[in-house]
Amino acid sequence: MLVLKKTTIDKLPELAACLMEKGTLVAPVKEAGGFNFRAITDAAQVDLIFHNTILSPKTVFFPQTEDFVRYSVYQPILEAKPVEPEIRPTFLFGVRPCDVKSFEIMDIHFTRTGVPDPYWRKRRDATIIFGFAFDTSEEADPAEFYHTLGIGAADPDGSDVFMLRRDDVLFLKAVSPRGENLLGGLAGLTDAAPDERKYFDDYIAQGHDYKTRYTCVDAEAIAKEFEAIFHNTDFWTKVSNACLSCGICTFVCPTCYCFDICDETQFGQGVRRRVWDACMFTDFTLEASGHNPRTQVYQRLRQKICHKYSFHIRKYGPISCVGCGRCTRYCPVNIDIFSIVEQAVQAKWYKRM
Amino acid sequence: MAISFEQIEQHLKTEALKLLESGKVILVLAYGRGYDANHPMPYVAKHPSDVDNIVFNEYCTANLARYLTRYPRRTKIAIAVKAADSRAVVQLIQEDKVCREDLVVLGIPVYGMKNFKTGEVIDSKTTGGLYNPVLYDILLGEEVHGQPVSSPYDVLAAYEAMDKEERWAFWQRELGRCIRCYACRKACPMCYCDPCFIDQNKPKWGEKSPESPGNLMYHLTRFHHLAGRCIDCGECSRACPVDIPLYLFHKKVAKDCEEMFGQAAGMSIGDKPVLVNFRVDDSDKILE
Repeated sequence: MLVLKKTTIDKLPELAACLMEKGTLVAPVKEAGGFNFRAITDAAQVDLIFHNTILSPKTVFFPQTEDFVRYSVYQPILEAKPVEPEIRPTFLFGVRPCDVKSFEIMDIHFTRTGVPDPYWRKRRDATIIFGFAFDTSEEADPAEFYHTLGIGAADPDGSDVFMLRRDDVLFLKAVSPRGENLLGGLAGLTDAAPDERKYFDDYIAQGHDYKTRYTCVDAEAIAKEFEAIFHNTDFWTKVSNACLSCGICTFVCPTCYCFDICDETQFGQGVRRRVWDACMFTDFTLEASGHNPRTQVYQRLRQKICHKYSFHIRKYGPISCVGCGRCTRYCPVNIDIFSIVEQAVQAKWYKRM
Repeated sequence: MAISFEQIEQHLKTEALKLLESGKVILVLAYGRGYDANHPMPYVAKHPSDVDNIVFNEYCTANLARYLTRYPRRTKIAIAVKAADSRAVVQLIQEDKVCREDLVVLGIPVYGMKNFKTGEVIDSKTTGGLYNPVLYDILLGEEVHGQPVSSPYDVLAAYEAMDKEERWAFWQRELGRCIRCYACRKACPMCYCDPCFIDQNKPKWGEKSPESPGNLMYHLTRFHHLAGRCIDCGECSRACPVDIPLYLFHKKVAKDCEEMFGQAAGMSIGDKPVLVNFRVDDSDKILE
């Protein structure tokens, strides 16, 4: 059986320093607007007293801008130089269980279908994930619904090391062989006592009882309902009346992966890069001919929701949503994606908790 | 306040029902229940039976004037407005984006509205120091009198104390974290350009990636495009997911405009937009 290790919160900088010696440490940092995952430069920056970050940790594997090729407009095209991403062993520290789950969904698109994306895969392979349980003593955030989608508040699945905080103590347990190797070599961690091991196991088990807003859902049934109402313009207009068609929901989403390839040139020196794009933007579907198949807000919102809750289920199996609640929390007009799902299926087979 | 939020909600429902039943308007722009009581959302009532879903509480900060330009002309619309929102309606009428005759303006005299993300009271920050709508057909309640009036420019004190270099550094820092979700322009009632300059690619005016030069290009252009037009509702700053205090720049420009040309945006439908209206005695300070 894998041993449970522990340290204290005040010794967190020591643990951080230890990881920084071995590679890049990426952890939640408090910034002016809230928390975000950032590469740590000072071990004291790591802050685990947070609920969740603004941007999801997908930024670590799929940054908002990624440079591919540098060129000069004064030189022949063959002189253009590909940009090699700098990839070091990385420790992604303090990821909530629902966000860990999102990596599996993103893997489908970046590595398991079509041409594998080398940038995503190299970064993913170089990264050890430290999952971090939600605090179940807090009341559930009204925007979140990971439990509805079958993800526990303390679900170690997908993490290499799973962490749990109990007051001033931080427990760490290896989940994968890579995690085990790493934990074995970290100084400063002590073995937990038997009663603490029991606490840890109980906490993980009880994580599945920590209810977010709704009862469980059936992906197949949802996909079917959305297919049935796809052409119901009245429904889509009604749910999108308030939508501003900004890009917040897609940018903060851990499972949105659309991007645009841009050539950005300044003073003759240019870079071809990919930049996040959002299906909520008017120019997202603008074709070279000038035709735009999605000019209306309702068409764009329908695309976003049906992609996650219908097309994705049919094509790949899982719902493309982990219930982290970011889209709902940061929406300037409080549109709640799961309320739309709820209205779409007309409360036929589930009830609000 | 002379009346409570519940009373405003009641008035709003009564008036909306009357207007929809009589056929005077075909839709009412108001507020509806969101995913919980603290998160109401903009709501469009089209049928008398929709009126039951209308709510009003201290978190109904959204400026509904933003949705007016979404409907074709001659659509008869009733719109619920608070003080700053009514200025947006006036400004849109001045700019000939909406017709006065198409609108039934339901004025809400109110103070103590709160940002639903932070719970902070927004009065002193972004209501233009007003509690009563400047334009309405039907007032939902009684005008607010006797409430201490704060100058809309008080919050600028710390910003104005900075010198040129400090301000440059301030905006580089603040705009540096922009993620280019464009929520600020989408939440703004005065940002109705279609397409917005930043979305154009022939020619391309600014870069798409969220890096400092492109961010500055986008925000500074937007700031200046709103000169003399920003009505200080604060929606851009509240919509921002990374909390950039955009309202500071808008307020500073609004203050300069008011000092130079003696006119605030959206105060009377008889006014011409300040930067459209040329007068021989206009201040030349802008050229200095």
